[in-house]
Amino acid sequence: YPTRPVDKDKAEQELVVNIKKATSPEESAPKQKHVRKCIVYTWDYHSSIAFWTGLRVQPILSDEVQTFKALITVHKVIQEGHPVTIKEAHSQTGWLETCSRTVGSDGTRGYGPLIRTYVSFILAKLRFHRVRPEFNGLFEYEEYVTLKGIDDPNEGYETISDLMGLQDQIDSFQRMVFSHFRPSANNECRISSLVPLVKESWGIYRFITSMLRAMHRRTNDMEALEPLRSRYSSQHHNLRKFYYECSNLKYLTGLINVPKLGTDPPNLLDNGDAPNLP
Amino acid sequence: MASFGKATLRVAKNYTKGYSDVQAKVRDATSNDPLPPSGKQMNELAQMSYHQQDFVEIMEMLDKRLNDKGKNWRHVYKALVVLDYLLHSGSENVVIYFKENIYIIKTLKEFQYVDDHEKDEGANVRHKAKDITNLLQDDERLRNERKNHTSMHGRLNDGHP
Repeated sequence: YPTRPVDKDKAEQELVVNIKKATSPEESAPKQKHVRKCIVYTWDYHSSIAFWTGLRVQPILSDEVQTFKALITVHKVIQEGHPVTIKEAHSQTGWLETCSRTVGSDGTRGYGPLIRTYVSFILAKLRFHRVRPEFNGLFEYEEYVTLKGIDDPNEGYETISDLMGLQDQIDSFQRMVFSHFRPSANNECRISSLVPLVKESWGIYRFITSMLRAMHRRTNDMEALEPLRSRYSSQHHNLRKFYYECSNLKYLTGLINVPKLGTDPPNLLDNGDAPNLP
Repeated sequence: MASFGKATLRVAKNYTKGYSDVQAKVRDATSNDPLPPSGKQMNELAQMSYHQQDFVEIMEMLDKRLNDKGKNWRHVYKALVVLDYLLHSGSENVVIYFKENIYIIKTLKEFQYVDDHEKDEGANVRHKAKDITNLLQDDERLRNERKNHTSMHGRLNDGHP
């Protein structure tokens, strides 16, 4: 099946080990090399079933750190795995709900609220993708999607509102992660959950920017778009603050480029392209 | 002395593991030796990529190197350097193959390795992976760079720079 030189039996055995190691009890980031193998597996075999099965048989629910690391892994695999991963994730919502039910009200190490908020974000993300399958897991910009939205202004309006809803959820989750930092610890495990959030919020931001620009070009009714403009502006400021705070986390800036936004939101009435990747 | 020992070991491994000449060349170009792969080595691999059997062997070995572990970050990094060169002047098949398997490169954008001296060796890999991902996703740039490379190469070979 894959054009790469691979061996399916071996890959499946390794996948089990990778899942186990990515969700180990150490309070650290899920090791990227193991997360990467999970992502690569879904592309090699155009399937994520073995990933979900492997995850479900791991005894992780009794440990809040392991549960949190599993959610980070799930988020990254949904974002960067083969598109079929998102479709197959729809039937895993029961397991995700179990994750948030099982964790104690606060957990001894304070991951309880983080887990519950993370689960509700992932579920919201999956609902979005179910309604709008044309978006990929990281909301990477594709011109044709923008055009599709603006041909039907109502459809475009709704898509943007829904994207903004997700953006708000990312924002409240990241605030919660920051407020749960512990001064005594290195916080690596918590910080590593910000990595996929930075990437996803940036993808959404670029999309919203170019869709709003396209809609402004097509319409004469500036008034109708006013609610979206003001919401866009407030999201811009929140996102700017989020990225600024991330840029002070050495562990995180070593891993990804954190975008830097200008003081003012981009002008939606000019013909600029989507903001460039940092 | 240490590198001499390693180089000898690599020669022995190429032999005992039954690697072909082509694969041995890829292994030499992407070894743990701190020197970058030479232009001569890369050019030779680029030329060989035009022959189907050699192409398959090169891809097989590059895939191994690209998926190597953190400690061998040099394998990964140098495999990316060689790949970059092949995308510019190797056969079109290299482009097709890596467009199809772009996720191998994309997922290296978060490659991590910090050595015993706390040095972040993963950074080299992350930057190179980002560059190559961007190149693979930009058809026009890739086409132009391949064209320029060919004409430049042609000029150099004709002796009319």
